Amino acid sequence: MTLARPVQAPVPPRRRWGLLLGVAAVIGVIAWLAFSGIGNALVYYQTPSELLARGGEAIGRQVRLGGLVKVGSVSGPATDLTFVVTDGTTEITVHSTSAPTSTFREGVGAVVEGRLTSEGVFEASRVIVKHDENYVVPTEGQVPSHLPDGG
Amino acid sequence: MIPTLGHAAVVVGLAATLFAAAAFWLGARRNDPGLVLLGRRAMYAAFGLALVASAAMVVSLLTHDFSVRYVARNNATTTPPFYSFISLWAALEGSILFWTLLATGWAALVLHRYRERAPALMPWAGVTLALGAAFFFAVMAWPGDPFVRTEPVGAEGNGPNALLQNHPFMGLHPPLLYLGYSGLAVPFAFGMAALVTRRTDEAWLGMVRRWTLVPWTFLSAGIVAGAWWSYEVLGWGGYWAWDPVENAALLPWLTATAFIHSSMVAERRGTLRVWTHALVIATFVLTLVGTFLTRSGVVESVHSFTQSAIGPWFAGAIIVALAGSLALLVWRIPELGDTRPPGRPVSREAAFLFNNVLFLGVTFVVLFGTVYPMIREAASGERVSLGAPWFTQVNAPIFVALLFLMGVGPALPWGGASWRTVRDRFALPLLAGALLAVAGWLLGVRAAAPLVALAMAGFVVTVMGEEVVRGSLVRGRARGERPPVAAWRLATRNRRRYGGYLVHAGIAVMAVAVAVSGSLASDVTVTLRSGESVQLGAYTVTHQRVVSERLASDPRVLETRAELALAGPQSGALAPALRDYPNSPSPIATPAVRTAAGEDLYVTLLATDPASGEVTLHVFVNPLVAWIWIGGAVVVLGAAFAAWPERRRVPVPAPAAEPVPATATIAAARPEQ
Repeated sequence: MTLARPVQAPVPPRRRWGLLLGVAAVIGVIAWLAFSGIGNALVYYQTPSELLARGGEAIGRQVRLGGLVKVGSVSGPATDLTFVVTDGTTEITVHSTSAPTSTFREGVGAVVEGRLTSEGVFEASRVIVKHDENYVVPTEGQVPSHLPDGG
Repeated sequence: MIPTLGHAAVVVGLAATLFAAAAFWLGARRNDPGLVLLGRRAMYAAFGLALVASAAMVVSLLTHDFSVRYVARNNATTTPPFYSFISLWAALEGSILFWTLLATGWAALVLHRYRERAPALMPWAGVTLALGAAFFFAVMAWPGDPFVRTEPVGAEGNGPNALLQNHPFMGLHPPLLYLGYSGLAVPFAFGMAALVTRRTDEAWLGMVRRWTLVPWTFLSAGIVAGAWWSYEVLGWGGYWAWDPVENAALLPWLTATAFIHSSMVAERRGTLRVWTHALVIATFVLTLVGTFLTRSGVVESVHSFTQSAIGPWFAGAIIVALAGSLALLVWRIPELGDTRPPGRPVSREAAFLFNNVLFLGVTFVVLFGTVYPMIREAASGERVSLGAPWFTQVNAPIFVALLFLMGVGPALPWGGASWRTVRDRFALPLLAGALLAVAGWLLGVRAAAPLVALAMAGFVVTVMGEEVVRGSLVRGRARGERPPVAAWRLATRNRRRYGGYLVHAGIAVMAVAVAVSGSLASDVTVTLRSGESVQLGAYTVTHQRVVSERLASDPRVLETRAELALAGPQSGALAPALRDYPNSPSPIATPAVRTAAGEDLYVTLLATDPASGEVTLHVFVNPLVAWIWIGGAVVVLGAAFAAWPERRRVPVPAPAAEPVPATATIAAARPEQ
């Protein structure tokens, strides 16, 4: 480019401070954005055993429940679905009014997001199915797969 | 036989790259052009060997040679040739091989092009590129060997991952991403060479920016293509989920973008030089970090690549690359002082500085969000996830600020601007932005995100439109050219600047489309009997019948589809389907997408009941999604325009009557300069 490079009067060094303050303010705002909402944004993964072990504390708290859809437990239409999620030792009945993805069927690994009600039924707002052939059944103490929205 | 040839090519390739690194090193130390030539030839040979290995893999896939474990796991006798071919990059070992092919290809291309133009930098860039290629060959020689054999040889293989053979787009999106990823080693190599040889002047910056822009173009295309693939194939109605694999591609893109901007400041104003070097390093290291995160199993992802032993290798490479390059940078800091004082708070370089802070902010947020669950589990044993809403919520304000700066930067002069300039330059764009937001409001848009995006897009596009119009008019007057001719010549003689404007325009379009589709989409889930309909927006979807049949192209695949009739602004037949692949325990969704400029109608089949003929559908109306792909295409076009080689300047003495170039006239017209 042939843009003219005009001669410029030297900038006094104190100008730096204005810029530095601006940069510091931007970094501060970004840090505040990132950390202020993180407590509410975190979703805890639990297996049925872990969730029930928390007793009354577990009720009403947003969690992701990971386990297997028990064979023979699925009933109802896709938009009013009831099934049982199990980790091999503990079972929780899940009720969902939002249809799961197409890959949902008995025996698959699933992560359901929602809350345990005082009746002991897990009301799911989202049912996510792991659509991978390498997916391993979560055993107690193992990480259920991270999944994005509806992935 | 052929797999053995492939394996031999990998082993010889490792030797060739190690030899090349040594030859470049000694050639540079002893100033011996013969050794440098030898090193260069060894790198050409390495590219040839990577080509042989890749060809051996492709032949093994096409001939269904199940004695090779990779083929047995990722291919079947019924796999169509196209999907056999693209299986080269469909799984871990093959994609490492493909990456090696591209990395050696970039290295050979760059070393060839700069063999005479940058004789001092080239050998050191060669050392870095050769060592990088050697790492990939070594990964293939030990933990990620693509040619491992299996015994006994089966008659049939497992077949490709069902999800990956369900759409031909799989043939396009990974190569674009890998071209971008592997190409980012080139600016890193030149950065290292500049630091080693102390040639940290403005000359290396031009070269490095060009060679950042080229992979950046591919990476951008790959990211947009990946989003499109996710949208068209996965059937969840969206295109971006802040999944670790998506984040891994985004991280180096963010720092490379920051570099493209900061290098302009470093070149024109002589400030931010250490910072610019650090960005080159960060970009390359983040390509390794992304691979490590997604391929080692430390972060789980929807893409769920097979875990393998390559994790520690990549961790080692990250540590070596980061420690080595940072040590070199720190060693050279005394020579990288600013050659000029920094600009004023209201100046183009200040806008670029804030642009960089914001890009690094997004980088930090994305990296933090991706690894935080892992750290938290290691620290406290609690398993948590940070969902997409957190990423969106934190990044949205930063992206809005970036959009704003996209308009501010080009309109402000270098050095500093007076109040009058600011007022003159920003009055019309601000008005245009406000008008666009008001128009959106009057059209019934009430959500904040689309209104803000509209205002910003109006502002940005008007700033750049003004620049182009003013520049063309000045040039047209000075040279007696008609305005379109003047505009084209102005742009082709300033490719970086006007290509950049085109990229910004594309980003503005994408921003509006993302904001609108993200906040104004609607969806409904229904179960329909044959003959029943559902209404969403202006559309009526009627379920007609369920058909189950084998695919003509691959008879192993059983397709169950709902045949639907669509009425509304778009009409016709829709057939969302579920496909059962023999090697997949669950069916693969194949959504039906009807795309128009205004909105997409998107239907996923969730379940069918063969007895009653009932289907459960998820129907989405996604506004403006098509404009994300159009904006993405404009971005790629603009970047390609900017990176396009300029005509070699022939040093002819300028005639006395040479008119003043248009941009110089503009600059001269700015009173405060």
